[in-house]
Amino acid sequence: MKGEADIGRPAFDAIALAPADNVATLLRAVPEGAVLRIRRGAAVVEIAAAEPIAMGHKIALGPIAAGAPVLKYGIPIGEARVAIAAGTHVHVHNLQSRRARRPSG
Amino acid sequence: MAEFMGYHRPDGRVGVRNRLLVLSVGGLTGPAARRIASSLRDAACVILPYEAGLIGEDKAIHDRAALGLASHPNLGGVLMVGDNPVMLERLAAGVTARGTPLAAISMDDCGNDVFELVARGGRAGARLIREMSRQRRAPAPLSALTVGLECGRSDPSSGLVANPLLGHVADALVDAGGTAILGETTEWLGAEHLLAARARTPELAAAIRAAVERREAAAVAAGVDLLGTNPTPTNIASGLSSIEEKSLGSTAKSGSRPIEGLLGYGEPPAAPGLWVMDAPAYAPESLTGFVAAGAQLILFTTGVGNSYVSALSPTVKVSANPETCARLNGQLDFDASAAFLGETAPEALAEGLLGTLCEIAGGTRTWGEILGEGDEVVSRFGAAL
Repeated sequence: MKGEADIGRPAFDAIALAPADNVATLLRAVPEGAVLRIRRGAAVVEIAAAEPIAMGHKIALGPIAAGAPVLKYGIPIGEARVAIAAGTHVHVHNLQSRRARRPSG
Repeated sequence: MAEFMGYHRPDGRVGVRNRLLVLSVGGLTGPAARRIASSLRDAACVILPYEAGLIGEDKAIHDRAALGLASHPNLGGVLMVGDNPVMLERLAAGVTARGTPLAAISMDDCGNDVFELVARGGRAGARLIREMSRQRRAPAPLSALTVGLECGRSDPSSGLVANPLLGHVADALVDAGGTAILGETTEWLGAEHLLAARARTPELAAAIRAAVERREAAAVAAGVDLLGTNPTPTNIASGLSSIEEKSLGSTAKSGSRPIEGLLGYGEPPAAPGLWVMDAPAYAPESLTGFVAAGAQLILFTTGVGNSYVSALSPTVKVSANPETCARLNGQLDFDASAAFLGETAPEALAEGLLGTLCEIAGGTRTWGEILGEGDEVVSRFGAAL
C-alpha cells in the first residue's frame, strides 16, 4: 500500500539493467547517507549514497579501479579516470569515454 | 491487424496528411515562398537555401532531398518557386513521374518581378489546394508506413525507458510489414557492434562499422572533444557521461529486428524493414533525412524537452522523465513516465504508443502541428563553387 508521501516515488531508487553493471541510474534525487533500493538485473540490492546525487545520474555499486571499464547496459560506457568508491557519484569528473580520443604522444 | 486512415497516392504510397508544400528551390526565392505560404491556409513552406554552385556529394544530396520533399506522400500538391528554370523543370519531371500535382514558377517566368512571383504563386497554390481538397482518407495497412526514429535533448530516462519503448514499436511496425529508419551515426559510437551483429549480411556489418569509423575519424581530425559536443552540455547536465552511454540508449530506438541496409542521407529504403541512415545527429538535419527518404511520421523521444518537429511529417514527442511530462503537459504527445517510475514495463506501453501513432496517422494533430513548429533542413557537407 502506497502512503501519500510515496506518490510519484519510484518502486526502486535506482536501476541497473544488466547484472554485470557496476553503476546504477537514479530514478529520483537522493541525499547523502540515504540507503537505496536498487534493481540490478532481476535482483534487488541496497547501497548507501556517499554523497547527494541527482535524478538520472549514476551511483557506483562497488569500488571501481582507475582505468577499469564502467559498465551500464552490461557494456562499457567508458573507463574510470581515478579509483571510484562504492556509493559515490559517477559522471564526467571520474569517468571518461574511450572513443574519439586523440592518439596520446 | 492495426490500420490507419490515409491518403492513397498515385504511386501506391500513402500519406498521413494532405497538405500543399510551397518549396523554394534555392534561397533567392525563399522570402517570396514564405509570403506565398502565409497567404494560403495550412500550406507548408520549405526553403532549400543552397542551389547554384553545389558540387559532388552536396549536389547529389540536394537533388535527392528536393525530389523527396517535393513528392512526399504527405503532400496533396506542391508549388515550386526558384531562380533556376532548368533545375525547376528537371525537378518537376521527377515529381510528375511520382504523380504529385504541381505548379512551378521561376523568377525568369515573372520578369524577375517578385510582386508578380508572389501573386502568381498565390493563385497557383490556391488552385492546387482546391483540387487536392477533393481527396478523402481511406483505410491503409501499417505496412504503408515509414517511421523515422529520433531522440533529442536526451537524458538518462531516454536510454532506460523512452528509446527502448520506441524499439518495441519499431519491432511491431517491422513485423507488420512496415519500415523504420534509425539515423544519427555519431550516436552509434560504442554500440556499433550491437548494430553490426543485426546486419543482414557481413558486407552490411562492415559498412555500419565503417560509417562509425568515418564519424569518429572526423571528430579526431577536427580536434573536437565529443564530450560537450555529443553528448551536449544539456545531456551532460542531466547525467549522461560519454558518447558510449548516450549511444547505447540512442540505438535502443531501433528495437531488435535485423537491419536491411545502410542508407545515404535522404535515400529512400528499397524494401520494408528496419534500415539505418548514415547522417548527422542534430535533429533538424536528421529529421529531414528521414522525411526526404519518405518517412510519413517521426517518433521522437526527449529527456528534458525538445520542441523541434518536421514541417511535413507529424512528429510524435515521447518522454519518460516524470518532471518533463508534468512541466510540458500540452507539448508532449505520449507520456511514458509510468515505466520510468517502475509502475509498468516499457514494453507494456508499446501498444498504447502504436495506437497513438495510428491515431495521429489518421489525422489527430500532434502538439508540434498545433503549435506551428516545424522546418526542414538539408545537410551540407563540403565546399561550393
